[in-house]
Parts: sequence; structure tokens; C-alpha cells
Amino acid sequence: MHKLTLKETEEKLINQIALILSLDSSKIKPDVQLHTLGVDSLSFVELLVFIEKEFKIKLMESGLAREDFKTIQSLAARIQKSL
Amino acid sequence: MKRYLTGIDWIINAIDYSSRKQTGVGNISQVIIEFDGLLNEPELRKQLQDCLKNNPVLCGYPARAINLCPYWKISRENKALTLNTHYFSKNLNFDDVLSFFEKQMSVSFKGKKEHLIFNLVFQEDKSFLGMIFDHRLLEARGAEAFINVLGNRLSLVTGKSLVEPSHLNNWKDKFRAGKQVNRSFLHLTKGNARCLKKDGTHSLNEFKVVTFSPQESTRIIDNSYKEAGYLMLMPYILAKSILILHRMFEKRKDPIADYLIPVSIDKRPAQLIKKDIFFNHLSFFLFRISPQEADSFPMLLASIKEQMYNQVKSGLPEAFSKASFLMRIAPLPIVYLLLRLMTKGEIASFTFSFLGESSYESKHFLNTQIQNIFHLPRVPYPPGIGIFFNQYQGRLNATLSYIKGLITEPEINQILNALRELE
Repeated sequence: MHKLTLKETEEKLINQIALILSLDSSKIKPDVQLHTLGVDSLSFVELLVFIEKEFKIKLMESGLAREDFKTIQSLAARIQKSL
Repeated sequence: MKRYLTGIDWIINAIDYSSRKQTGVGNISQVIIEFDGLLNEPELRKQLQDCLKNNPVLCGYPARAINLCPYWKISRENKALTLNTHYFSKNLNFDDVLSFFEKQMSVSFKGKKEHLIFNLVFQEDKSFLGMIFDHRLLEARGAEAFINVLGNRLSLVTGKSLVEPSHLNNWKDKFRAGKQVNRSFLHLTKGNARCLKKDGTHSLNEFKVVTFSPQESTRIIDNSYKEAGYLMLMPYILAKSILILHRMFEKRKDPIADYLIPVSIDKRPAQLIKKDIFFNHLSFFLFRISPQEADSFPMLLASIKEQMYNQVKSGLPEAFSKASFLMRIAPLPIVYLLLRLMTKGEIASFTFSFLGESSYESKHFLNTQIQNIFHLPRVPYPPGIGIFFNQYQGRLNATLSYIKGLITEPEINQILNALRELE
């Protein structure tokens, strides 16, 4: 299986966020802050569960520092680092 | 016309039944809007009339269909909505106004078709609007979405929430979900839960509200991000609430036991709530916290986050919604008895909810500027005490709801001081 590129990881995250928030994925930009999209504690945990299932990375115990998680871009980069 | 009730709706009906039986008042709540200015009363009356005319669901009541499914019978009878007006002297403070709205929570609805009561309070150059609502028809976020429709002269998009299939299929799925819920409940409710013991016949609910300024709210949110992690506001304020009540329980001589806290959640995104206003779309998390965990804030926070993560991962909230369909066959007294049996009579140590950013997005209601929106939810016994947070325009509010006589005056003050120190 090939290692996903940053762009592919971002796309997977965008699709999942669109699914969780019932948004149109084409309208989600990777540099937008998650809370401005309407992501709250519950939807964020749903996203973290998706990341564990999809990328086999458990981020809940990581401390969830804001700089690593605030945008889809930074989250994708954080996932890439752990892959 | 009928709208089938879901399993969660039926559980809410069972809680309503029990509350009526114990106190004469159903499972109700009140949302209060505080205005910077005087609300136009004739305009509000007209809005209410129009809304009622277009939405007969507001005058419905539960019934059972020939296929044994409970449903909401949507009546064609057009009853007037109750709107009472009150004038207060300028000398009264916020607590006096709150005490007035608190008293309204003991008022019963007239007949089985009334589910909303409005109270409009004028005080010099300010006004307040309280909407008491029946939880069988509206949940808290639905209530905010409903006043959003009223206050912004929107037309209700009720198509979706008024069409619900009977769900008399996929029984295998529902039984599988039932098994999962049962296993989780057995694990989470092992041993006793720490809860308040009711002596006497008090049944009156009292409420205290702590409001935070936008700056204070921002500081609380920033602290939650630092201590619990990005977007972890809900686990953070739940942990703080547990800590606050743990301190109260520790001072009592009651036997030591774990805390059991049900947290209602609505997984629907904000846009969907606005389209699907009526009835209940909730599910629940159930947290079990040991006194040792409650003693240490980092341990408490870690435990809440872990339990929340594991419950989302295992799909427990969805399983609970699915399994609740199995209860619809039972009459309401039996449903309530089953719920009590599942938790050994100790339904919870306290209840908690965090509504998140309000479904009411505008800064105005019928052109009058809003200062704040907060909730007064009634808490049945058990547990008889709850802490509820909501957020409007970034501003946080905390409501302490309890049954009078269950906690002492010093305990109330201790809780309120600790809530104020959240900042």
C-alpha cells in the first residue's frame, strides 16, 4: 500500500468532516480553523476515532495541542508525521 | 395526522410521566432571552398566532396506533398560545427576575394539548422573554431553533421532523444494539452510585444562573484548550462540574461510591437542527468516575476523555438510540421502571449537559437586541441536581438546577462560588 501524500490525507479528512457536519466537501478549505466550521468536542472526537480507524493512529492521548489540530492542513501534517 | 415517536421520544415521555406522578409537573424546561430594550408585545402575539396556525404539531399529544407504535397525534384544533405579560419595578435585580421565572416552572400546562407557555417581563428599559417548553415536543437545542424561527420571522421547515417512519423493521439490528447497551450498562452501573438522598416531600425545583462575560468565556475556552486539548471544552467543563460536586459530596457523611453521570448529546450538526426542530434527537454518554479520579483534576480529565472516546468508538450513543425502539411496546410506567432497574434505582449522581453554541444565531429577536440566552431545565428526582452549560454569541452560562431541600444553602453557595471561579 502506498504512503498517502499530504494532499490525499487532507482530502480524506475533508470528506470525513463534511460527513460529520453534513457540509458540502467542496466548500471546506484545508486552511480553515476547525472550530469555525462548527466542529465541537463531540464531532472532534468522532474525527479522532475516524483517524484511528483509517490511519491506525491514536491521537486522543497526544495532548491535542492546538497548533497540531487547528486546521485540516496541520492535522494532515500531524498524521503524516506519525505514519 | 400522526408522527411516530422514536424510542428516545418514548423514554422522554416516560420521564415526563414519572415527573408528573411525583410533582404534578411534567419534564419541562425554560429558555430565557434577556433583551437590551423593550420587546414589541403585539408583534410577538401576532408571530405566536401565525406560528400556531401553521404548525398544529404544537397542539399534539401522544397516542398509540393500531400497530402498537406510539405516535404524536397532530391536532387540527387551533388553541391559542399562552403569553402572559408582567411589569417589574426598576429596583428589582437579576436574581429577583430569575426567581419569578423559577416560580413559573411549577405551573402546569392546561390540558394535554398545551406544550408551550410564554412569559414576557418588562423592567424599565429592559425586557425578558421566557418560553416554558415540554421536552416531549422540543429538546433544548430544538427550543432555541424554534425561537430562532419566531424571532426572525422565518417559516418553519418542519417537513423532516414531522415525517418519521414507524421503525417496525430491522429487529435483529435493534436486539443486537440492545445487547450492546445492556452489556455497557452492566459494566457502568456495577456497585452503587453516589447520589443525594431525598428526605421529605420537597419537589420544587430551584435554579441559580452564573453568567460569564465574553472575556471571561474566552478565558475559560482558552484554559480548556490548554488543559484538556483543542476543542475539548465539553470534557473540560464536565470535569470541573464533577470536581465541584465531588467537593460537596466529600463534606457529607454519605457512603463513598463512584459517580454516575449521564450526558445528553445531539450528534446532529447545527444546520440540521434548524430544519428538524421538533421532538427528541438525543442520545447519551454515561460516565463512571471513581472518587480517586475525582480527587485529581488531570486524572479526572483523562478519564472523561477516554470514556468519551471509547463510547464514540464503540458506537454506544447510536446503539442506545437503536435499542430504545425496543421499549416502545411498554407502557410509560413500565419504561420508567425498566430505566430505574437498569441503574439500580440510582439513575445518576447528577445530570449534566453542554448545549454548545446556540441554535439562535441572530443578535436580535423581532428587532430587539438580545443580551443573553440561558436555560432553566427542571431536574427530576433521582438525581435531583444538575449543572447545565450553554453558549450564546461566545458567552457561556452555567445553570445549577436542584430540588429544594436536597442541598443546603452553604452547599449552594459553595457550588456557585466554584462555578464563578471557573474563569
